[in-house]
Amino acid sequence: MATTEKPTMLVGIDDSHHSLYALEWTLDHFFTNFPSNPPFKLVVLHAKALPSSVVGLAGPGAVDIVPIVDADLKKTAARVVEAAKQMCSSKSVHDVQFEVMEGDPRNVLCEAVEKYHASMLVLGSHGYGAIKRAVLGSVSDYCVHHAHCTVTIVKKPKIKH
Amino acid sequence: METTSIAAAETSEAIMQPEKKKKLKVMVGIDDSEESFYALKWSLDNLYCIAPEASQDGSDGYKLSLVHVQHPFQHFVFPAGPGGATFYATPSMVDSVRTAQEENSAALLSRALQMCKDKLVKAETLILNGDPKDMICQAAEQMHIDLLVLGSRGLGKIKRAFLGSVSDYCAHHAICPITIVKPPKERSK
Repeated sequence: MATTEKPTMLVGIDDSHHSLYALEWTLDHFFTNFPSNPPFKLVVLHAKALPSSVVGLAGPGAVDIVPIVDADLKKTAARVVEAAKQMCSSKSVHDVQFEVMEGDPRNVLCEAVEKYHASMLVLGSHGYGAIKRAVLGSVSDYCVHHAHCTVTIVKKPKIKH
Repeated sequence: METTSIAAAETSEAIMQPEKKKKLKVMVGIDDSEESFYALKWSLDNLYCIAPEASQDGSDGYKLSLVHVQHPFQHFVFPAGPGGATFYATPSMVDSVRTAQEENSAALLSRALQMCKDKLVKAETLILNGDPKDMICQAAEQMHIDLLVLGSRGLGKIKRAFLGSVSDYCAHHAICPITIVKPPKERSK
């Protein structure tokens, strides 16, 4: 079979249900209509935070905490990937590549876009307001500005006033 | 603010076949920038895959809406020379500018519709008046759009802060998923 150059779609997931909803949305609209031959190649990427960025300036006890935090992060990452795998197989989408990369999610996602030459990046959005977004930072915001490909932000629909 | 909707294409979607295919309502924002036309082209190229058999009886996989927002015309003008008093534009001036604006919008949308026709995609057009940011978000909400597609001019941070960015605003405030299409860079594909 000739390997046609399929455009790659990259979905970034983290521990939130927003990103899982984004994955579900992507699967529903781009993949379930084509059980045998999806038009895109799907890569699901989880960015695992570095323990050093989480622990920060913890002082003298930091050395002991780091392995514990790291183990916890690894567990979270495994859980997230597992949930994504289950979602994909429940939608009968099997040709998916799962990856976990370490580092700040913003940089990781933009680098992954370069690495996979993704033609589209899909992210969930926490739906933070302006203040939270400024303080907590927004991965989706950063990626919209800095990723070199088309970015889709999927919001979980909720009843807005 | 008045809304003028022009359904230029036939809106025949009476046949709702009970298939697994989900009908995706997609709205693409069009203005006079090349990036927005690239966004439309991107949508036609990539989202069209969702409807593999675009049969003639109108059972397309998704419905495409093209929206163009006109800036509201200010009814007064500032004189360029010294003197500094504002005066109201005469009605004939207002009319002629409005006509020019409408002609411009019609030309843009007809170009966009032509692109859709080339890909055998049915589309409807919508012309709104007002601030593009707000109107696009409102239209997406009222029409229960499933996906909003906008082009991005790729402004840097400073320009974005001063000139404002419609895609930025919509990414934060739109209720539905939003796709921001960047103009292609010179990368080898």
